[in-house]
Amino acid sequence: MRKLTTLATSVALLATVAVAKEIKVGAVMPMSGPLAAYGQVTYEGIEFAHKIQPTLKNGDTIKLILLDNKGDKVETATGTTRLISSDKVVAILGALTSTNTAQTIAIADKKKIPVIASVATNDKLTMKRTFANRVCFTDSFQGEVVANYALKDLGLKTAVVIVDQAQVYSLGLAKAFQKAFKKGGGKIVKKIKITSGDKDFKAVVSQIKRINPDFMFLPLYHPEASMIARQSKQIGLSKPMFSGDGVANQTFIDLGGKSVEGYMFTDFFDYSAPPTQKSKDFIAAYAKETGKNELNSFTALGADTYFLLVDAMNRCSDPSDSICINKEIKASKGFEGVSGVINMDKAGNATRSAVIKVITNGKAVYKTTVNP
Amino acid sequence: MDFLEFTQQLVNGFSLGSMYALIAIGYTMVYGVLRLINFAHGDIMMVGAFLGYFGMAVLGLPFVAAVLLAVVGSASLGMLTDKVAYKPLRDAPKISLLITAIGISFFLENIFNVLFGGTSRAFPVPEYMEYIINAGGIIFTVASLMVPIVTLMLLAMILWVLYKTKYGMAIRALAFDVNTVNLMGIDANRIIMIVFGMGSALAAVGGIFWAVSYPSVEPMMGVLIGLKAFAAAVVGGIGSVGGAVIGGFIIGFTEVVVVAFLPEYGGYKDAFAFVLLILVLLFKPTGILGINFDKSRF
Amino acid sequence: MNIVIRKDQWINLAIIASALWFIWFASTHFDKYTVRILNNIAIFTILAVSYNLINGVTGQFSLEPNGFVAIGAYVTALLLLDGDAKEYQYDIEDPYPWVLGLQANFVWALFFAGTFSALLALTLSFPVFRVRGDYLAIVTLGFGFIIRILAINNPEITNGSLGLNDIPEFSNLYWTGGVAILAVIGILNVVNSKYGRAMKAVRDDEDAAIAMGVNTFKIKTFAFCTSAFLEGVGGGLLAALLTSISPDLFTFFFTFQLLIIIVLGGLGSTTGAIIGTVLVIGGAEWMRFLDEPMNFGLFETPAMPGMRMVVFSIILIFVMLFAREGIMGKRELTDLFKRKGKK
Repeated sequence: MRKLTTLATSVALLATVAVAKEIKVGAVMPMSGPLAAYGQVTYEGIEFAHKIQPTLKNGDTIKLILLDNKGDKVETATGTTRLISSDKVVAILGALTSTNTAQTIAIADKKKIPVIASVATNDKLTMKRTFANRVCFTDSFQGEVVANYALKDLGLKTAVVIVDQAQVYSLGLAKAFQKAFKKGGGKIVKKIKITSGDKDFKAVVSQIKRINPDFMFLPLYHPEASMIARQSKQIGLSKPMFSGDGVANQTFIDLGGKSVEGYMFTDFFDYSAPPTQKSKDFIAAYAKETGKNELNSFTALGADTYFLLVDAMNRCSDPSDSICINKEIKASKGFEGVSGVINMDKAGNATRSAVIKVITNGKAVYKTTVNP
Repeated sequence: MDFLEFTQQLVNGFSLGSMYALIAIGYTMVYGVLRLINFAHGDIMMVGAFLGYFGMAVLGLPFVAAVLLAVVGSASLGMLTDKVAYKPLRDAPKISLLITAIGISFFLENIFNVLFGGTSRAFPVPEYMEYIINAGGIIFTVASLMVPIVTLMLLAMILWVLYKTKYGMAIRALAFDVNTVNLMGIDANRIIMIVFGMGSALAAVGGIFWAVSYPSVEPMMGVLIGLKAFAAAVVGGIGSVGGAVIGGFIIGFTEVVVVAFLPEYGGYKDAFAFVLLILVLLFKPTGILGINFDKSRF
Repeated sequence: MNIVIRKDQWINLAIIASALWFIWFASTHFDKYTVRILNNIAIFTILAVSYNLINGVTGQFSLEPNGFVAIGAYVTALLLLDGDAKEYQYDIEDPYPWVLGLQANFVWALFFAGTFSALLALTLSFPVFRVRGDYLAIVTLGFGFIIRILAINNPEITNGSLGLNDIPEFSNLYWTGGVAILAVIGILNVVNSKYGRAMKAVRDDEDAAIAMGVNTFKIKTFAFCTSAFLEGVGGGLLAALLTSISPDLFTFFFTFQLLIIIVLGGLGSTTGAIIGTVLVIGGAEWMRFLDEPMNFGLFETPAMPGMRMVVFSIILIFVMLFAREGIMGKRELTDLFKRKGKK
């Protein structure tokens, strides 16, 4: 019986392929190596979005080709070249981090193939490029959100910033925050440099305790941020702590335990308050498929790179025309994505809202939405 | 930089140094009997930490039982690597042995990465370990007090084994001259296996301490710690157990003190161990305890 | 005797000529993806034959390539980028004025890349080779980490973890292939010279070599610096091929790949290093299937990202335990011809 069904499906599949064109879309993601965890959740979104919407309006099917870049630049370059010259993809989704995405864009831009980045927030990523796009906000926007929220809503005037020298994300966000915080009348009393992989922050936190700032801004990823939170509590340092989307995951709460209670961070969206109809549907489908409805932001943004692309392709008379796709991506206005409403600009940057969450009783709880 | 703070950093450095020391002992002992830099040693530590994690988080064992599981598991893994990967190469050129060691190290890191993923997992630290003691302004957790105490106890035990037991004598003899040991009717391979077992057991304890102090475990955690522990072994005088402990403390203290008092150089924290290593090689290649290379190692 | 040498020379010339022809043919006929893989192969050939010199020929276990490749790549990138491009990119700190002033053409950039690496290797040689090279592995391993730490913590020079972007794309198959041919010829000449014989003597029996009056410190240092020079040049070519570099590019995995290449090809054989490169760099693309879900008919394994690395390490251990000679042993391609000729 089962065999029969399989046979029937394959026949049906064959039939569709026969009439409609197949258009290839590439994805470059770190599925192994040090960034694998992030790459996997992001690709989960792309893959799931493809499953929901595998065909275009005109009946053409989309074939998704994933290349693992191991989080490595050489592999990213080879993979991107392969996707463009050998697989002939019309667009590329990826490649997670800002450094690797920059590598993908450098190659794709020359070949006039649009790239949509999911979570690469570095400001310069899309500058001086024609075919670079992203669905996430930029570092400057996120930095401003945190600075304004701290100054105006929480009334915090002095800050210590801890920056991870080894992470592009951390450097960019720290810089943007400092600029916005100073502009708003706040004072950065100290900037402390750390390196990812560090575990012992006892010296750092005792220094901060002596300085006694109003709050701490930690534009870090979860391993370092959680350790700092723990060691702060150990020495009785209980100033408010704020991070960016780098800690927006359950692992952060697991690692931090009780010490991250009250910890605030910015995120792209919140699954408990779906911003659009599309996110409601997506979360429902996702829950049905995986049995969990806690949709990770990275998964949502991964899905949005795909949906935004399909939306742009549908508006092109020839959906395999990369130049038209690029133009249409940049022309997307009021696009209802899984992670929220996205407005694209000419530079390829997304104007979108951010949400602020606070960790309460071991859960990230939605606090407010900040619109641009 | 007052007295109180200095004492505080001293306490921190003591705890960090102990962990390096525990791992350095394994390097030094294996080097003593095989003249091999066992690159996989840091990863054995990682496996130890993971076993502790599984014992507590998955099997729900109490802390002490989880430690025991980690120690036994790591010791067996250490002995297994010797039997499978190093023993067949006893007569091979040394480079083959070193390449195999790197291979084992890479294998352990990546098989754990494939099986359990690269994300850090939260280590379930027992509540009492995180209890905070405030001794006149010097703040530390129960764990950071326990780490050096247990380390010194284990050190005493190792020294007792080395100097007061038959096996210890065989280990010291092996470091001195392999051929003679064989002629005396001692099974050198058995002794080497015991050395691997002991070193790996200590590494497991070090790994668990690490996970208790900084509650997260991940497949790559052993790489840098292992490298620094090796540097500690050389600084202390490779081949000497006491030297490994001294080297571990030196490296632990340097890291803590530099980060605390020269924060602008904090980014270079991981480089200190190597700078020390290179300085020692330049000026006193036999390390602090100054053991002559061609004579006894313990 | 004369005839044998002449025959050798003919064979060598024929090999060089066909390699040159292949480079021309590939650049004009193959698609971009194949050319990129060939570029990778050419650069890794340079790295593998030079890495083999210290590990295979001289028998000193070293783990340095990622460090020297990084040095070469950074030197080249800084020399190729013009002042304006640097000014625009440096985001963390303002670059030092002398950094902006650095400028050279591609040939000089590669030369400086190599020289700088070789000088660093020379400095490392003093602490390491004084103690019989036992610690070479660990010191070079640490060196790779330190280079990364330096690159991250000196944003005035390196632009920190943001790395350098928009490096002019000078590398093409003529450059990478041409340098690879030169590197192989150079290394073979070293191996066949009296220095090369001394290196092998050090590898096979260091005490005997000392007794024969070989200055082992000098020989090891020479081999190490030669390796470093070519690795620096390789790094420069890589930077000009990728057009962007950052500290996280030069991890230990880079070195590990090269180690597999030379072990698989046969430690000590330059030909083996080339064969190993083709197998591993070409094969890595093919081995992508390992990370994908597999269907064994009866059951299906889930996708296991990272499986490739596990397979790599198993290969390495396996070769060491059961096939220590690798593919070529210590022989070269010309040895195969010679043996035939003698028969």
